[in-house]
Amino acid sequence: MKNKLSIKHRILQEILKRLKNIGLFLKRIWSHKQGKIGLTVVTLLVLIAIFAPWIAPFDPYDVSDRTLKGLPPSTTHLLGTTLNTGQDIFSMLIYGTRISLIVGVTSGICIALVGSILGVMAGYIGGAVDSLIMRIVDIMLVIPTLPLVIVLTNVFGRDYWIIILIFVALGWTGLSRTIRSLVLVLKNSNYVKAAELAGASRWHIMIRHILPGTSHLLIMSTALSSAGIMVAEAGLSFLGLGDPTAISWGKMLADAQGGGALLFGAWWWIIAPGVGIFLAVFSFMRIGIVMEEILNPRMKQSSGVYKIFKNLNSAYVEDVFNSMDDNQKIGITAATESKRKGKEETDGTGIET
Amino acid sequence: MKKSYVIKRILYSVFVFAVVITLNFFIPRIGVEDPAERYYPPQGNMSEIEYEIIKQATREQYGFDVSPWQQYLNYLEGLTHGDLGMSFRSGSPAVADLIIDRLPWTLVLSVSTMLIGLIIGIMFGVIAAMKRGRWQDTVLLNASTIMIALPSFFIALILSFYLGFEYEIFPAYTDPNMVSNFEWTFASLRNVAQNAALPVLSMAVGSIIGYAQGTRNAVIAVTNEDFILTAKAKGLKQNTIRYKHILRNSMLPIVTSLGMSISGLIGGQVVIEQIFNWNGMGTLFLEANNMNDYPLMMGIMLLLSGFTILAILVTDLIYVLLDPRVTVGDKR
Repeated sequence: MKNKLSIKHRILQEILKRLKNIGLFLKRIWSHKQGKIGLTVVTLLVLIAIFAPWIAPFDPYDVSDRTLKGLPPSTTHLLGTTLNTGQDIFSMLIYGTRISLIVGVTSGICIALVGSILGVMAGYIGGAVDSLIMRIVDIMLVIPTLPLVIVLTNVFGRDYWIIILIFVALGWTGLSRTIRSLVLVLKNSNYVKAAELAGASRWHIMIRHILPGTSHLLIMSTALSSAGIMVAEAGLSFLGLGDPTAISWGKMLADAQGGGALLFGAWWWIIAPGVGIFLAVFSFMRIGIVMEEILNPRMKQSSGVYKIFKNLNSAYVEDVFNSMDDNQKIGITAATESKRKGKEETDGTGIET
Repeated sequence: MKKSYVIKRILYSVFVFAVVITLNFFIPRIGVEDPAERYYPPQGNMSEIEYEIIKQATREQYGFDVSPWQQYLNYLEGLTHGDLGMSFRSGSPAVADLIIDRLPWTLVLSVSTMLIGLIIGIMFGVIAAMKRGRWQDTVLLNASTIMIALPSFFIALILSFYLGFEYEIFPAYTDPNMVSNFEWTFASLRNVAQNAALPVLSMAVGSIIGYAQGTRNAVIAVTNEDFILTAKAKGLKQNTIRYKHILRNSMLPIVTSLGMSISGLIGGQVVIEQIFNWNGMGTLFLEANNMNDYPLMMGIMLLLSGFTILAILVTDLIYVLLDPRVTVGDKR
């Protein structure tokens, strides 16, 4: 390789290029109405999470003042107080943002990393690596997730970093499967073939040529899986299986149910954390869906169920694809390539909301 | 060709099941030197010798006195005749019996949720797809963007708050005598239906929206296919195209995904069952978790995974029946 300075220079250039790409991408999301909502709310939530101690008017852990029990919303206690301990719900809500965002976003990013690495390896290297990874995916897909998470927290403990690890360990499978099928198409494209002929190493091709081709999918998956994990984390805390020391939205709901909010009509205690979960999940999902639309303008709006169909169909399409002989494959790859090129050309102007 | 694919597919499912059984057996044993300790945690006022005696008795009772490998073989041997081991709860009942007691009650919830979701969802989805871009479609899209971000347990809490406590339309907690007093009479069935109303309703909301969205997209995708254009060009009646060509073809992915979705439903039902105190497998699982009763947890996990494997297998075989091209290149 070349001398140190030039490598440093190249890395710097690379980072700048990436940053610029992300900026451009954010701009594209911003140009959608839905994306604007999503980005605004996410930014707000991040700010709230960072500045929680300054925003929260009371100490959310303070249970000392017993006269404050069960106050309905008022100007001093914006969202009222809890029935059994007299904690300020607005402050709890603000502190709860931290857990939700940290668990959701960290797991989302780690899932994207693990899923893309394993997916690209499975798709590009093929052979034994491919079958090993795909066998693991198949096995993980059939074990029910929430019960498995419960078993694992039982075995390994309930710290937040352990919960994040568990979510990542269970969450990468779907993404790596999707990435693998994308890589199988990219693998046959001309620029990869050219790189191979030029004598580039496998890792070089995987990192420099194939991974960038999947990057948009990764950002999308990060947003969507963050949203999914926020719901899962809230569910886990709701069952009393999250970190018992921290304040989280799921735990607030569990406390509300256990503390008699339903029985004594303390609606504010239930609505507040629910709205918190809703806003966070909703905004992340908006970003994910807008990205999906940018990537795949033909497919508007999608839901969880539709995603199952899509996975089924992609596996099915892949089967059909693999059953063809080589000439057909090359033809189809060329056709999709040219289609993609055409799409990219029209993409800049042709985005609808 | 077809037969060999089917055999291969079945063998593969058996392989996956075997791995799942193995994982299921060993995961709860990670980090546990002595399973008896987990069953019976040391207590303060107990002397060392006493504790050792109790542990020894536990080991013998549950077969922990042999090597883990031998335990695994014993477990496999038990599985062949439906023996899932003994639960850690008092009286050490068989895990299989406990599960069989609760399974029907869980299925009551998940099957009715699925049926409601399917019937109403498909109806809404078809209407939205037929009236694409008009208000029916917009309502569905907006509803789904909102509902998808609302966790089902939050919906359950809200429903239980308003319908259960404020207006007392449906019971907010399941009648604890519902199971023990159950018989096949009208009054008893009505009691079950009343108690199941809120849990089913809170899960069905998401389910309806999900199926409606899936149906809408599937119908629209089929409508854009070339053969629909051909049918139109041939001058077929609008209704013939709608019901015979579009609907029939767009139902395929929905029907084949049913099997997958029901096992997901049972897994995700844990929280809902806990909220309404429903006497199903979800609450059983949580009870087992609280008591560190891992033979029981293993049993439930095994049942759910086996169910999913079966569902995926059936789905794949249906695909083979529908499209012979799948058989040639089996890469999954």
